[in-house]
Amino acid sequence: MSVKKNLFIAGIGMGLAIVTGWTAFPRALYVRREQPLTFQHKTHSEKSGLTQCDACHALGSDGEFRGNPGIETCAGCHADKVGTSKSEATLVDVYIKPSRETPWLVYSRQPANVWFSHAIHTRRAGLACGECHGAIGESDQSRIYEQNRISGYSRDIWGHSISRLGRAPGDGMKMSDCEDCHHRRNVEVGCLGCHK
Amino acid sequence: MKVNRRDMLIGGAGALAGLVLTPVPWKLLSDVSIWTQNFPWIPQPAHGPVETKYSVCTLCEGGCGMRVRMAANYPVGVAGVGSHPLTRGALCPLAFAAHQLNWHPRRLREVRHAGRAASWTEAQAAFQKACGEGPIAIVDGRPGRAASSVFEAFTRKRRGSYQIVLSAESQALAPYANWSGVPVASLGFDLENARTVVSFGAPVLDGWGTPGRFTRLWSERAGGAADPQLRLIQIEPTLSRTAARAWQWVPVREGSEAALAAGVARVLWEERLVTSQGPLPQLPPAEAAAQTGLTPEAIRELAQRMVENRPAVVIAADGNPAIAALNVLLGAVGTPGGIVKKRKDVPSRVPADSVPGPLRAVLVDSTVPWEFAAPTDAEVFRFAAWDGGGNSAGWLLPAPVFLEELTDVPTPPTSARETYAVALNLAEPPREVRSAAQFLLQIDPTLPAVEKLIHARCEEIYRARQGTVYGEHPTAVAKLDSAQHFEEQLRQGAVWMGEPPGPGKLRCELKEWPMENRVAHAGSWATAWVPPVFPALATKLYQESNLREPPAGRQA
Amino acid sequence: MSARYGFVIDLDRCTGCGACTVACAAENNVPPAQARATPRTGLTPMLVRKVSNGMEGTARREAFIPIACMHCGNETPCVSVCPQQAVEVDKATGIVVQMPQRCLGCRYCMTACPYHARYFNWWDPAWPVGMEKSLNPGVAVRMRGVVEKCNMCPARLHSAQEKAAAAGRKEIDPADYIPACAEACPTGAILFGNLADEKDPVFPAAHSSDAFRLLARLGTEPKVYYKSQQAWVKALAERDSDRATEARHG
Repeated sequence: MSVKKNLFIAGIGMGLAIVTGWTAFPRALYVRREQPLTFQHKTHSEKSGLTQCDACHALGSDGEFRGNPGIETCAGCHADKVGTSKSEATLVDVYIKPSRETPWLVYSRQPANVWFSHAIHTRRAGLACGECHGAIGESDQSRIYEQNRISGYSRDIWGHSISRLGRAPGDGMKMSDCEDCHHRRNVEVGCLGCHK
Repeated sequence: MKVNRRDMLIGGAGALAGLVLTPVPWKLLSDVSIWTQNFPWIPQPAHGPVETKYSVCTLCEGGCGMRVRMAANYPVGVAGVGSHPLTRGALCPLAFAAHQLNWHPRRLREVRHAGRAASWTEAQAAFQKACGEGPIAIVDGRPGRAASSVFEAFTRKRRGSYQIVLSAESQALAPYANWSGVPVASLGFDLENARTVVSFGAPVLDGWGTPGRFTRLWSERAGGAADPQLRLIQIEPTLSRTAARAWQWVPVREGSEAALAAGVARVLWEERLVTSQGPLPQLPPAEAAAQTGLTPEAIRELAQRMVENRPAVVIAADGNPAIAALNVLLGAVGTPGGIVKKRKDVPSRVPADSVPGPLRAVLVDSTVPWEFAAPTDAEVFRFAAWDGGGNSAGWLLPAPVFLEELTDVPTPPTSARETYAVALNLAEPPREVRSAAQFLLQIDPTLPAVEKLIHARCEEIYRARQGTVYGEHPTAVAKLDSAQHFEEQLRQGAVWMGEPPGPGKLRCELKEWPMENRVAHAGSWATAWVPPVFPALATKLYQESNLREPPAGRQA
Repeated sequence: MSARYGFVIDLDRCTGCGACTVACAAENNVPPAQARATPRTGLTPMLVRKVSNGMEGTARREAFIPIACMHCGNETPCVSVCPQQAVEVDKATGIVVQMPQRCLGCRYCMTACPYHARYFNWWDPAWPVGMEKSLNPGVAVRMRGVVEKCNMCPARLHSAQEKAAAAGRKEIDPADYIPACAEACPTGAILFGNLADEKDPVFPAAHSSDAFRLLARLGTEPKVYYKSQQAWVKALAERDSDRATEARHG
């Protein structure tokens, strides 16, 4: 029973734990889910000439955010297949024809007690969509949706980096991220400002 | 090197120490705490676009203006409508949770016959067979609707009779119908022009008539002030909500209301406080005082108060002719502020308690109160939205409810002016549900559809060029450019109101003073309510608080 | 410019109908009573209590007092005792905001509240099957084990703020923000407004000679005022709200 041997064994244990904790754990914590079909933001904006996000992700008449466009918006051009991709076939056959809403997995879905007003942040504060959502408009496929097995929320909320270091804009939508931005811009809100 | 158990333990200890340096414990703690805030068995509201639809409440005949907040195409909230000409934003407490009634545990979702499940096909076959075998009757609890016309048309083509059930408020007007020959549906209380309202037991501030109507009037002109523009005198044995806020509460002995009316009438006549010549009540004030428990001075004072702030009108909650006669004496019949005749003539109807002869079958609409007892030897086809726990021998047919069917709302019984509105269907009814009108239409497709009848009625009102449409802004019908525009407005929740009643078109003849000894209907807050169940949130009013008594025989 | 939202409730106009109670429950996703719930264990963020002058017969007078959180402005009792900082006085509006998601259910605040205006979720909220479709999306549903109370309908405040932002305005339109109880009251007994705005109708009402507050001697500066022209009603204001005379039924 030498101390060295014990330390060595403990060290091995520690090493294994650290490696597992930083590699296998983050991978195992999230289950990868596909969107019902892949959506090509870049192609759509080029083909239609609509370059602003709010052309499809608009505010309603009273300022409430309408989220992802409904199936009628897609049906406006895709009532019948206009292309050859598998995604479009799914869109037309499974959703447009039977008039079903596409069950998109929303990366930025917050808990039910969170109130976030797009109108206040985009109109009043003048924030660009990319500051929180990243350059999603430039993408031509839908990212994999990684869902936390325990909390049920998207990996986008914690951020891709399990240590929360080195986050890009749009990566990380926890309450502390909101608080940081509010602190930086000196906008004070109480609990009432963000909770319902 | 042999690895023994101690080594494993030491390795484990190292691993634990190492774990602290990984995200594992911290991330797990964070995720588990979020999981504890999002238990899957806690219901979540639906996501979806929010919009507001304007309509009219159909829980009772009152037809208060109502706006419904919809989320994801489903009603999530109810509020009043300030521009409604009769109710000006007021609603009764039950309306605010009525959008949840559709999911009441006692909601009927299947056809039942003699206590066991059956089908619409069977019910239809049985009813058609009954129609062929003998006379039938259709009982309607809310006459004047488009559906009522369907019932009438059906019975006209067969050996059938169309019967109506008068609501309590209609019964309050029944004596004047008998004395004047004018049908009850044409009469109303001109409360808007009254300056003294003497209510014998009518809970005018707590759900009587159109619930929002008098509460608004009273709030604007009395509001509990010591010297108000509108004086409310409440005559009843107990201190009810209405009595607590009334300008004067007269606590009579239970059952002696008719005696009080006779005593007051005698004082009015003897002291020449009124000019009309009519039959003289036989009860002297002293005798009335003994019966009512009041002093003769109190009776004299009451009589005085009935004439000093005119126009005055008396409301006999149970339609007791002995009390209703006071209005004849006060000259409050056919005059502003009293009993008036509404502008449009309505054909006479037979109330259901005079159903003629033995019947083969009776079809009872869902608007008929659950307490209505159909003749027991007839086969009963009872439309209902909730199981009231009643008749298990007949057919129980699931009907649509609040917000589930397109229907029209004719003039409420107590209103002084004609109104018309359309209530939209804002919620999808369960698949197995069918209204009585739809049922009859399937048996006889030649009958007019409800939607067509509503369209025709809108055209009829428009062509008469009378009255005003109260949508976002009031507009005279004469100024609208088309019947279609008029109907569109109604379908968006606007209400049409006709012209004020003309003067002097109503006269009541009384040969002698009626002396009917009725026990006054001790109205509880639940009795005006037609459906046998309350909205679930009504428990806030009695089980979870001491505000109201638990409603007898009703379930929340 | 921060607001101080408050109420002035006219007790001469309140008929005790209960519309405010039901409207509040519908707006705020308060579940219907469990079978075992009683007035002590029920959930009534807005509650109407009946009080009387204690006399019988023709001298008896009764009144109804709607009671919800008073949104105390000074040394707010619940805020000072909460170990979780689950409640705070919002600086911009004066609303005392209860965050049920932060609450750990110690119920210290319920003891501290002199107005008994706080309610505990003894049971998980349960609606009859299908009724959850009618839940208001603007309000989060609570769970068992947390305290809740009137928050002055923040869902409606949020809608008003969002509408103002979309229209390019910084301040909300006062007509857009009215809590469910004030909107529901059929007699207009509940008046809501910004007590910090002299032009708001609630300001002169709160400062009229008929206006008073419950337990004003405690100095919590509640933002809910009552008014009545009846002397016996005003006299009740200084008594403990639980021991105020309540009429029995029957």
